[in-house]
Amino acid sequence: MPRIYIDGRPYEADARQTVMEVAAANGIAIPAFCWHPKLSVSGSCRLCAVQVEGRSWVEISCNMPVTEGLRVLTDSDVVRAYRKSILQLTTLNHPVDCGICDKAGECLLQDYHYEHNGSASISRDPKVHATKFHPLSPRIVLDNERCVLCSRCVRFTHEVSKSKSLGMVQRGDTTLIRASEDGAFGTDAYSDNVVDICPVGALLSRDFLYKSRVWYLQPTRSVCPGCERGCAVNLWHRKPEWKLNSLDPAKNRAIERITPLDNPAVNGPWICNKGRDMARILERPRALQALVAGAPATLEAAIESARDLLAAARRPLALVSSWASDEELAAFSASLGARVRVLVKRDRAPEAGEVIEDGLLIRPDKNPNTAGARALFPDLWDGTSALPDADLVLAWGEGFDIARAPQGARTLVLAAWADPAHARADVLIPISLQTERHGHYTNFQGVKSAFEPCFARPDPVADAETLFARLAAAREAAA
Amino acid sequence: MAGKHLLMTFEVTPTSHTLAEYRARGGYQALEKAITTMTSQQVTAEVTASGIQGRGGANFSAGRKWSVVNLKDEQVHYLCANADEGEPGTFKDRWILENAPHLLLESMLIAAYALQVRHAFIYIRGEFDLPYRRISGALEEAYGAGYFGKPLFGTDFACDLIVYRGAGSYVCGEASGLLTSLEGKRGFPRNRPPRLTVRGLYQRPTVVNNVETLSNLAGIIRDGAAAFKGAGTAKSPGTRLVSVSGHINRPGVYEVEPGRPFRELIYDTCGGIPGGRKLKAVIPGGISTKVVTGEEVERIRLDNEDLAGVGSGMGSGGMVVIAEGTCMVRLLQVLLRFYHHESCGQCTPCREGMGWMHRIIDRIVDGHGVPEDLERLKQISAWNDGNTICGMGDAAGYATTGILAKFGDEFDYYIANKRSRNGGNLECPAST
Amino acid sequence: MKHLLAEFDSLRARFPEGFESSLVLPCLRRIQEDRGYVADEDIAGLAEYLRVPRIQIEEVLSFYGQFRRAPVGRCHIEACRNVSCSLRGAERLIDHLSRKLGIRPGETTPDGRFSLATVECMASCGTAPMIVVNGAYHENMTEQKLDELLASGS
Repeated sequence: MPRIYIDGRPYEADARQTVMEVAAANGIAIPAFCWHPKLSVSGSCRLCAVQVEGRSWVEISCNMPVTEGLRVLTDSDVVRAYRKSILQLTTLNHPVDCGICDKAGECLLQDYHYEHNGSASISRDPKVHATKFHPLSPRIVLDNERCVLCSRCVRFTHEVSKSKSLGMVQRGDTTLIRASEDGAFGTDAYSDNVVDICPVGALLSRDFLYKSRVWYLQPTRSVCPGCERGCAVNLWHRKPEWKLNSLDPAKNRAIERITPLDNPAVNGPWICNKGRDMARILERPRALQALVAGAPATLEAAIESARDLLAAARRPLALVSSWASDEELAAFSASLGARVRVLVKRDRAPEAGEVIEDGLLIRPDKNPNTAGARALFPDLWDGTSALPDADLVLAWGEGFDIARAPQGARTLVLAAWADPAHARADVLIPISLQTERHGHYTNFQGVKSAFEPCFARPDPVADAETLFARLAAAREAAA
Repeated sequence: MAGKHLLMTFEVTPTSHTLAEYRARGGYQALEKAITTMTSQQVTAEVTASGIQGRGGANFSAGRKWSVVNLKDEQVHYLCANADEGEPGTFKDRWILENAPHLLLESMLIAAYALQVRHAFIYIRGEFDLPYRRISGALEEAYGAGYFGKPLFGTDFACDLIVYRGAGSYVCGEASGLLTSLEGKRGFPRNRPPRLTVRGLYQRPTVVNNVETLSNLAGIIRDGAAAFKGAGTAKSPGTRLVSVSGHINRPGVYEVEPGRPFRELIYDTCGGIPGGRKLKAVIPGGISTKVVTGEEVERIRLDNEDLAGVGSGMGSGGMVVIAEGTCMVRLLQVLLRFYHHESCGQCTPCREGMGWMHRIIDRIVDGHGVPEDLERLKQISAWNDGNTICGMGDAAGYATTGILAKFGDEFDYYIANKRSRNGGNLECPAST
Repeated sequence: MKHLLAEFDSLRARFPEGFESSLVLPCLRRIQEDRGYVADEDIAGLAEYLRVPRIQIEEVLSFYGQFRRAPVGRCHIEACRNVSCSLRGAERLIDHLSRKLGIRPGETTPDGRFSLATVECMASCGTAPMIVVNGAYHENMTEQKLDELLASGS
């Protein structure tokens, strides 16, 4: 275990580490564009250089192996002057169009200029121009002028997503990042991660393009419900102090973008593209109106009717949602578990063209909490077999066509999203989404991850966790 | 030409490059001597004892380079001859490929034996036409004679060799860029550590040596390290092939013994400057070495020591002779345009710096230079020095700072007067 | 490219095991020799044959000066303009060529006969100035020799 010294302080290192890795592990920020903890070393941006004590020059730290007693300085005068020179060179042909660049506010080039005293360009010559708005794929737009050629995106597709679909064409200062001409980058299920790892505003998500300044948004931690991997994500939404004046309330309860939240136990710093698109699923039209026999009713009335249905049922069957949180499932189990036969339902099946499973993150079960549900209720409904005989089907979550309920059975539906079929249910109680409550999902490996609410639960919508006690109450009273 | 000769020891004729004539001159006997009477370690020891330095430009001790290869590690390792010769002003490896291809092949077999290499390569620049045909022809002859592809001289040592053609990139002459190119990719140089002798071609230990460096091995084995060391000087042992070009009456490849007066090469061997014009400068070791003034040429010896004394070096031995009346501003423009064109683009200081320097010199030549431009050129050179993945950034800096240090007044004039003091001239009128 | 596969197979057999990636450069050179340039379908075909990422081939084609993805003139002239050639009149020679052919470096004559390019040092410094015509070196060039070369249609 070699001991090295960074800025005079000792740190224990692993013999296979580089100085950069030791620094990163100990919270010492050495600026770099091309280095990334999950990618191979490129050693090309040259920004991360440090000064070995006793030498008058600097050397890159990302490729400097540790040796016993090594002493480096990360903030000496030599290093500071050097950093300014690298920033000057990096920005030489950079358009500095922060005013119209999505990355502003979360851009390493900006951050480093502020932190490390980058100065205005001293060049008297015109900047080299390159392509703006190059369509790298249907999802990603590339601005070659902003690109600092750190090669993180290239290395990502070769080493992580393995599509090997990005590269660098031409050479020198006319080098351009490009995708292979067969469109492989467009079918890379992890392509959008390059937007996160791009240190500047070169790679941008078309979906998020020009939507909002990032400082108007705040991230709320959540768990992607796209599959049983349960990747940790940040859901970005407008900060209350920056809410829009729009007459449409939906504008202020929108998920503006979804980015990975680094969870070493689950997904590391990556998520798949479907995870980025989850707003499309989460923000479908909601079920906001409770229904009794297809007619609008108050939530209270619907709950009363539901209670009666449960009380009257001799052979009640529940299909519990694999989108329910561990807490909601526990509440269901406590209130109704003993009384009702329970099958776990996989709410969503893979869509046409969707990747079923791969060696990275994507899992075949497209629901976030099947494992959490089965921990409490071992029996799984395969989605196709006929249901066991029942006189009441409690269908919780989507993925069940109530026409398939056994002949003569009553139906009690708990749903978050609108569905015309709800009109045919005996009772429809609208329920909340994960974005409106706190909870946990258990992934396929048994890892529990927490999600936080970012929006208020709409008024007429019930909170499932507290609902079940109320649904069971009358039954207990009768007993 | 005065001085010892170790390589150019025969008369070049239309057939002198053939196997038959090479054998008639004693060819492949050194190989037999090495394999039948010496161990691999002894061969390496002899090479180290000779003190031979790399003749590709870096001047690094070949023996020291070889010594890093761990022969006990059971790993496959490789030997590669660097025949990418792209340093402007240099064409001496070409002489060997065209006229003494078997010398290179025999020497490579000796090196392969020392390093226990089963697969060797010659990476030859893609543009080479006759040199490629000659070395390929020689290789075919050598295979036919059983020197390659079969166990040699009753031992179980056998070696295969492939001639691999580049496709037009100066940085593929840099050893790590060369190997990455040999892997079928862009010729991107690599950071060290690890050294190529630890992880090189396909991440296996690889020795890359210049064609001329390798070609000396047959002689070193045949005549012994002492004979090699006996030529040249202490710090520049052996002989060097120099390529002389530019404003000179007898351009060509010459074998010189370091330590002799520099002026002897220019005026005696190569016949001086056309029209008897005064010598203005010589770039002694390919354009990536610092320029030497005519006055300095008059008083120094041609060796590493004296050249270092005037801030330069032997480099690749590519001597570009420049006569009085040449515009050094336009000359620097040619050089910077070259470096800009050849930058691979990986690392920030070189990628941005080369373009920047080129744009500055273009602007100066166009008559729109400002005095701060010269400080800027020096600053960009300093920002590149030691801070890049390979030596090209440094090289452009040496070329630039060398010319600015010794001919800065021409640049001051050009900027102040918006024109060249020498009419923008690059040619030597008497040579046309 | 299919008709070259047998040749590629023999070439592959000469390389050590696991060197498929190395075949990119020699195969592209051969394809270009055959077709005059490398076509889009050649890229797909070679990527499949060698089982290398397609992007690697695209990168290589754009990185190296000798590869081209579009045809050039039947007589492709490359003139060196580096230091020793410039010291011995390359600039004048290139101007002469340009005027005679009516094209600038980087262009092809409308009839497709000649194309002109400038290149960097070709290691012919001692026999400068020089040009390359369809890959063959022509050294110690003069304007007169150039005229003769062009007249002969090369």
